[in-house]
Order: sequence, then structure tokens, then C-alpha cells
Amino acid sequence: MRDNAKGGALTEVTFFILLALYTPRHGYAIMQFVEQKTGGRLTLGAGTLYGALTSLEKKGWIAPCGGTGGRKKEYTITPQGRTAAETELLRLKALTQIAETILGGTQS
Amino acid sequence: MSKKMYRYFGGFLQAQQNWLNKMARRGYRLVSVGKLLYEFEECPPDSVQYQVDFIGGKSKRSAQDYAHFLEDVGYKVFYKNFNLNYSIGKVRYRPWAEKGGRIATNATTFNRELLIVEKESDGKPFALHTDPEDKIQYYKSLRNPWFTIFALLALLALLDKSLWLGLCALLPLIPVLLYQRQIWRIKRENV
Repeated sequence: MRDNAKGGALTEVTFFILLALYTPRHGYAIMQFVEQKTGGRLTLGAGTLYGALTSLEKKGWIAPCGGTGGRKKEYTITPQGRTAAETELLRLKALTQIAETILGGTQS
Repeated sequence: MSKKMYRYFGGFLQAQQNWLNKMARRGYRLVSVGKLLYEFEECPPDSVQYQVDFIGGKSKRSAQDYAHFLEDVGYKVFYKNFNLNYSIGKVRYRPWAEKGGRIATNATTFNRELLIVEKESDGKPFALHTDPEDKIQYYKSLRNPWFTIFALLALLALLDKSLWLGLCALLPLIPVLLYQRQIWRIKRENV
């Protein structure tokens, strides 16, 4: 994942994974979350998800959390991850605001 | 009724994947694999789908971690060999592998270069690598071993001034170029 490479923007996949992990989820639940929230527009392959989770864990934005009961590994977002997601939200808000001032007038 | 078949696909991952999917369409799902042996059992046609994934560049730990992750997602995985090598005390140096995976032995990653991943069909297409960046990474991990072989042979050919070795060096260049073409295609489509 090449997040932060250009002007601090997150990739769509990264942002969705962070959003999914505001509640602890395991791999399959993250894939379902992304598919449901985007109405099937964005599907995440397990290999791609694994790579993304590994690199986010390395960055300290997400962390594996206690396997209560089942043996499936769950992940949750860390405070650093929350900061990254909040920063991204502000960036997107600023972007949509600019877009609305320019496009807003042309739409009925 | 179980059905045993013998096949060797070597570096032709796509051919292996297509063949397994053809077997699944005909109503056979994989039970176990050996170096050459594929053992199937009967199942309703089209009930499973297969993907063949290259993990030869991973260390033993990250390969196992990845396989467990796929199992957690609900897939079934089989480790498969890439080469046909029956040596027992094998130790091989893999300069192209990630940290921790560069020395491959029979006890770690040697003869476990591929993962056959089986998913119960749910009407949706089955793909492991969906993100352009991840796909590029994946094709690079497939390209680099071939490039290493090419570079070594080319070096030997130069040192030996041997035309014969030089011609041999061109063979591994074919998969290098094929994978590189995939990488260029993905890059072109995602600028």
C-alpha cells in the first residue's frame, strides 16, 4: 500500500479496512464489510487483504486483538489508525467542499 | 469414489489452475496432493473453485501465517511443489525471497512454493489478488526467481564466452517478459 506517498491520501482499500476495524473483525468479516458498504463495487481478494493487513499492522494503525473464544485472528484499529482515518475524513471533506462550490451551481 | 491423477505443471500456474477448475466443473474436488499426484473425490459439479498462488518468496513463518489466514477466511489450502525435486537434505539459496525465506530447506519452504486455494462456490468470481498494487507485487514475486536464473546463466555465459550457455540464458527470459508484460499492463490501466 502506497499510502501517504502523494499528499497524504489513503488508498480506498486502506480507508475501508480502517473503517471496518472500528469494531474488531476477522478477515472474512472485513471482506464482507467492504462488499456490503460499496454494494459490491469494491471486492477485496483474500491475498490483497492479507497484504494490506500486514502492512497496516507494521505501521501500527491496526493490531491483532485477543482471540476470545474462536481461533480466528481478529484485528482492531489503534489510536494511530484512528488519527489516520480522521485526517483522511477531513481531507475528503475539504475535497468535496471544493467540488460542491464548483459543481454545485451547475446541478439542479 | 476417489480418483487419482498424475500431472506436473511446473511453472505453468495458470494451466494448473485451469485444470483444477475443469475438474471441479466435472464434479471432482481435491482431497490431497503429492509431488505429481492429485487425489480427487466426487462432488456436485461446480461446487468449488480453485486459485493457485505463488508463495515461494515468503519465509516459512509468513507462508504459514498466510495459509492460516486463508483458512480463517473459509478456504481450504494445499501446499504444492513448484519443481520436481526429490532430494532429502535440500538447502537452496533464494536471493529473490523476502527476509527469513532466503535459505529454503525441506523443513521450511522447499517444495512448498505454491498454495492451491479452494473456495466453496457462492456464485461470485474467485480471485485472491484484486488491488492493482498488490497484483504488481504478486507478479514481481513470480518474475524475480526467473530473472535470477537468467542473470546467473547470462553471467556464466559471459565468463565462459559460451554461445550455448547464452542461448540457455534466453529461456528463463521468456517467463520474465511474460510477467513483466502483466506488470506493465496493470500499470498502464491504473495511471
